[in-house]
Amino acid sequence: MPKSLKVGIWTFIGSFLFLMFYGFQSVLVAAIGALLIAIFGVLLALPLPDVVKSGLLTGIIGLVFVIAYAVERPAIALLGAMITGVSAALMASYRQHKTDLRAGAIQGALAGAVGGALTAIALFLVWLYIVPAAGVTNIAYAKLLSETIPLGASLGSDVAIIGWLSALTLLISMLLGALMGMARTVEGVRGNLLSYAILGLVVLLIPILDRQTELQLLNAFIPVFVFILLALGLNIVVGYAGLLDLGYAAFFAIGAYTTGMLSSPLHDTHWNFWLVIWIAAAVAACAGVILGAPTLPLRGDYLAIVTLGFGEIVPILFRNLGGGGPNGSLTLKLFGGQLGTADIAGFTVMDQVNLTGGVAGINPIDPPKLPGIVFGPQNQVPWFYLLVAIMMLTLFLINRLRGSRQGRAWTALREDELAADAMGINTVRTKLLAFAMGATFSGFAGAFYGAYVSAIFPTSFDFSVSIIVLCMVILGGLGNMAGVIVGGLLIMGADRLILPQTSNLIRKVVQHQQNTLDLPTYRDITQWRLLLFGMVLVLMMLVRPEGLLPNARRRAELHPDEDTAEQENATLFDAERDPQLAGH
Amino acid sequence: MLQLNDIHTYYGNIHALKGISLHIDQGEIVTLIGANGAGKSTTLRTISGITPPRRGRVLFEDQEINGIPAHNIVKLGISQSPEGRHIFPNLTVRENLEMGAFTRNDKQGIEEDMERAFNLFPRLRERSSQRGGTLSGGEQQMLAIGRALMARPRMLLLDEPSMGLAPVLVDQIFEIVQNINEQGTTILLVEQNALMALSIAHRGYVLQTGEIVLADSAAALRDNEMVQKAYLGIE
Repeated sequence: MPKSLKVGIWTFIGSFLFLMFYGFQSVLVAAIGALLIAIFGVLLALPLPDVVKSGLLTGIIGLVFVIAYAVERPAIALLGAMITGVSAALMASYRQHKTDLRAGAIQGALAGAVGGALTAIALFLVWLYIVPAAGVTNIAYAKLLSETIPLGASLGSDVAIIGWLSALTLLISMLLGALMGMARTVEGVRGNLLSYAILGLVVLLIPILDRQTELQLLNAFIPVFVFILLALGLNIVVGYAGLLDLGYAAFFAIGAYTTGMLSSPLHDTHWNFWLVIWIAAAVAACAGVILGAPTLPLRGDYLAIVTLGFGEIVPILFRNLGGGGPNGSLTLKLFGGQLGTADIAGFTVMDQVNLTGGVAGINPIDPPKLPGIVFGPQNQVPWFYLLVAIMMLTLFLINRLRGSRQGRAWTALREDELAADAMGINTVRTKLLAFAMGATFSGFAGAFYGAYVSAIFPTSFDFSVSIIVLCMVILGGLGNMAGVIVGGLLIMGADRLILPQTSNLIRKVVQHQQNTLDLPTYRDITQWRLLLFGMVLVLMMLVRPEGLLPNARRRAELHPDEDTAEQENATLFDAERDPQLAGH
Repeated sequence: MLQLNDIHTYYGNIHALKGISLHIDQGEIVTLIGANGAGKSTTLRTISGITPPRRGRVLFEDQEINGIPAHNIVKLGISQSPEGRHIFPNLTVRENLEMGAFTRNDKQGIEEDMERAFNLFPRLRERSSQRGGTLSGGEQQMLAIGRALMARPRMLLLDEPSMGLAPVLVDQIFEIVQNINEQGTTILLVEQNALMALSIAHRGYVLQTGEIVLADSAAALRDNEMVQKAYLGIE
């Protein structure tokens, strides 16, 4: 039986059972859900041409995106097209690397076309089925279309606008796909920079599109990008140096709390954000070294346990340094559950000091100040660009690090520590630097996040943050920055953008169809997030363990293509069989 | 060139080397032979700084090097091909060799030495873009030796290069070791295969439970009755 069929059947059975037990009293609904998940699995496993497969996989994301949003904001298709086009081309180029500029452009354009087509199809689906189902009248939707779609007003009828919009979707997706495809054919650092430039272009266009078409999605995008920043930092520790860190959220917390303590009314210190962000990064880096030093001899699961503990301790520390508790009592909490309360005399003194605001957290935190620009909750654009600037800096620095001697030392360390030592690599410094660099970027992210949300609590940095960030890194492709970005976009995009909006949509449809406001829990799709998340992870590990855009090395290890496999198999035998070949 | 004076090395509480003294002169191949657990590899680890001695002195070109961390010892000109090869499994052959030159910055010199390694081991040139982990055992051993040479050492420490190899490959490896020595690199060779080791070495030391029990020229050791009985299997 072909692998794709096997994967399809198993995922269908698995998802179906899970969805049934999860509370889908309707067999039909569970079956449809399971079918969708199974289709995704089959697509992953199916031996389709690389271009089609990449287009379909990313197109499905575009499709879901559009279905979720297009009832209220049809212009989402343009945004979907941008992201789909770029990522389809990226994925295709990772599956089959082209060296010729033209071949790359064609590959990217084709992948983008498949992805864009799916996204465009979604527009029609929404217009034909979902808009009426949600109780939006044709007239109202036509009005929405003509108001939000560029040139929409001059086209008049809604069919024409939908047609124009889908053509535009397809075009953008193909164009960006072709651009990305071409960039990917350029070798070395210049090629990397070109790819990042295109990604950067897309990202810079987001606020403009957002304003032109009234998407109002920036506030949803910013947390997604913060998490991507975290994932990029963690990728240094886990992907490059091979040190499994399960407590990465701790550094995020340290960055955020440093910012909170230095620029908030809590201690009446109002240091400038532009200074504080560097301090936050430096403090996080020091914390990285402090965590790194005692764990130097540890590897693998032992290291994971220690980092896990560190990740639990730091938020608890921030909570307990908040004072105000009952006299001298210390509450032990683990994974949100209470272990017990201990009375420790020494803590009486600490209770008088409020360093961190305790459970109540720090609120408000000063926003950054720039002449002429207001960083406020109503004005998302400067925040967005600030974050993009931080990300660009991060990408640039990590790219440099990766190519430097230090990057090679990390590779050697990940591969074989003893051999690295024998090669003259200072393994102690290499490890500490990995922790410190990873923590630095997390510190940046924390500082930004603290200033952005303006209120931080110990609970914002719990274990689930560490795990989600780790999943982004693994899903996207361990050790590959583009992969980590895509992984982050997918996981956080689904979590922050698609699921809440789909939930809204379902509520709307139910409301219209049944005239009732209360939605049964099982229909609240945001409640499914862990289920879907888990399913996708299991599927990925079964079908594509190297991640969506894998690092070439991991790909070769886990999925050797036929040529290399043959070559490798051959050598295993002929060296022994034909010793003349071996030496002379 | 290299001198060990009354070296005591411990693993925790285990007294692995009980006062080893030996010397290696410029241009020699010196071999350490002995049974499992005699302390052969520990001696190498002590020299290369991976397991520093608790007492005693290691002198390299009259400079005391015990206490210098392993990664700095490579820079002094002592390079090790560790026991069990320890090649980087997911790096290509070429990348493995480049990693061997980690401490160096002279691009041109590295390129020359790469060429030299490929000439010593033509097999590696054929496999240069293949991942290290997919090489056969003999090729991995070649890679480990080639990689150690990439640091351009004046002294090469080889730990059990014949381990797990077919006899015909062992012959080849030893021939190449002799080649390397003739090109000017001093070699300290640790081997269980005493017959092979003594056939290419100039001098040898016999280790027994952490102590040197015999030291002589290779030829004399080959004729020594005790060595013949215990290590060469000649009654």
